Amino acid sequence: MPFVQLKQLDKHFESRADCVIALNKFELAVEEGSFLGIMGPSGSGKSTLLSILGGLCHPTAGKVLVDDIDIYGLSSEQRADFRREYLGFVFQSFNLIPYLTALENVMLPLAVKKLATAEKKRMAAEVLKRVGLAHRIAHLPNQLSGGEQERVAIARALVNNPPLILADEPTGSLDIATSEEIMELFKELNAEGQTIIMVTHNDENRPYFDRIVVLRDGVIDSDNARIPKAVA
Amino acid sequence: MKLETIAFNNLRRRKSRLAFLIAGLLIGVSTVVTLISLSTTLTEDVQKKMENYGANILITPHSDDLSLNYGGISLGGVSLDPQEIHQEDLIKIMSIRNHLNISVVAPKVLGAMIVNGERVMIMGVEPDKEFRLKKWWKVNGRPIEESHELVAGASVAQKLGLQMGDKVEIGGETFTLTGILEKSGSQDDQILIAALPTAQRLLGKEGIVSLVEVAALCANCPVTDMVDQISEVLPGADVSAIQQVVKTRMHALNQFRNFSLAVAAVVLLIGALVVFVTMMGSVNERTREIGIFRALGFRRAHIMRLILFESTLVSIIAGIFGFLIGMGVTYLILPLMTDNEVALHWDPMLGGGAVLLALLVGTLASFYPALKASRLDPTEALRAL
Repeated sequence: MPFVQLKQLDKHFESRADCVIALNKFELAVEEGSFLGIMGPSGSGKSTLLSILGGLCHPTAGKVLVDDIDIYGLSSEQRADFRREYLGFVFQSFNLIPYLTALENVMLPLAVKKLATAEKKRMAAEVLKRVGLAHRIAHLPNQLSGGEQERVAIARALVNNPPLILADEPTGSLDIATSEEIMELFKELNAEGQTIIMVTHNDENRPYFDRIVVLRDGVIDSDNARIPKAVA
Repeated sequence: MKLETIAFNNLRRRKSRLAFLIAGLLIGVSTVVTLISLSTTLTEDVQKKMENYGANILITPHSDDLSLNYGGISLGGVSLDPQEIHQEDLIKIMSIRNHLNISVVAPKVLGAMIVNGERVMIMGVEPDKEFRLKKWWKVNGRPIEESHELVAGASVAQKLGLQMGDKVEIGGETFTLTGILEKSGSQDDQILIAALPTAQRLLGKEGIVSLVEVAALCANCPVTDMVDQISEVLPGADVSAIQQVVKTRMHALNQFRNFSLAVAAVVLLIGALVVFVTMMGSVNERTREIGIFRALGFRRAHIMRLILFESTLVSIIAGIFGFLIGMGVTYLILPLMTDNEVALHWDPMLGGGAVLLALLVGTLASFYPALKASRLDPTEALRAL
């Protein structure tokens, strides 16, 4: 059974007289261990799709099943718990908390968990080391370069060992060399078995994905698994 | 790291906003502290001044028809045989429950004597107590100190043609005039003041007093209680409160207290508004941040706790410093409010109250912003997603 299933998903945005259809009878299944790239022009619905996948935005109709959990059948507080346990977000503009150090930012998803502070620190330091930032632990975001901030954001998404990582334009504000480094990092994580869904419109990222879904006007325009992957 | 760490770091690393929040509460709390400590200190000061107005409890012999009365005087020759107050009973006054509130007990004996062919009223007093009680007495010369000394009222001195240092013969004993009271327009002008034991002997009233004046001082003077208590220990005497003085006292103090409370309430309201506006601003400013927290799996309850924990920290700091500043301001403006030397009171209850007040106001003012923050739609907050 696919790890993520979207069934008959509709999303309409109503503003005054207009009714914008962002997603229309959308169907998608994502296997565990894939590195899925969602591409498409602006306004094609890919960001909406990611919000809905992330349990942040109620679809107008349809179901989202992650690990067979109907996430919009949960209460709002339960959905927060779901996000904490199942998802790691990497946001477009990193979205680090400016008054927290790199280590503290990475510890954020752990802040509401009942773990000893020392254990939280150990976990956060470990993922920071994994993304190559062991030496920048005590720096505030404004003391880090763009690439480094991105790595902190990735570490934060990883710290809870979530089954699924959702990334929104993670290379959007990085130069080409840094973008490549970051994509390599995602690739490595995926090679270790991490399921990743990434929204991007940067064509240079194409080679890293094992499957690319292109959206247009709220429906799938093309869906090609470039390197067929054996499902375990 | 816990939620509290986030709140703590937010405050620590955004000092200007922290300063604003604290300032809002600080102004309110320190005003309240100032007004309360000021009114407490001034109440004590007023009490001390009130003491200068003299006695507020009068003990007279029990009698229905005798007009032997010093306050509103009519000391006629008509003399029934009244019940009398025995001097040795007066010690019982100090055994009443509120004895700590008694400042002065001044017994005196009154009687008429012939001096230099004139009929004159003599009052025997315990000099130290009497002169302490009647602070308005201005003595030219000095108060009596020994058994054969006299102080004369202005009118009586004039009538008898007495000068300071004159020898006066009363009842076969010779007295020296040590002082003359300045004219006051009261019955005090008409009397000769002598030491109590001497006067009692001259008047043939050994061990007996005609009248006792008591000065009681207190904040919420239970004067009527004290009157009852004294009546109990002196069953043969009439004890009455000079109500008017008491009422005026209470009235003035209450007015000041009410005024203080009204001002404090207004200032506190303004402080609460500052906190509210700053917290609201902070929530709006942190919309994105709160969206991130929510996306990372913080529950609504977590967001509320985060914001309320921040306001708690701010309130405690503001409460402590508000108390200190309030006391400082009191210390500075106290000299402007009174001529007397008044000591500042460090009341730990007031300190605790200040912190509690800050907590109450801070939490109330932050509650709505916290609620609003917790209800933010994470997608609204994370427009970029």
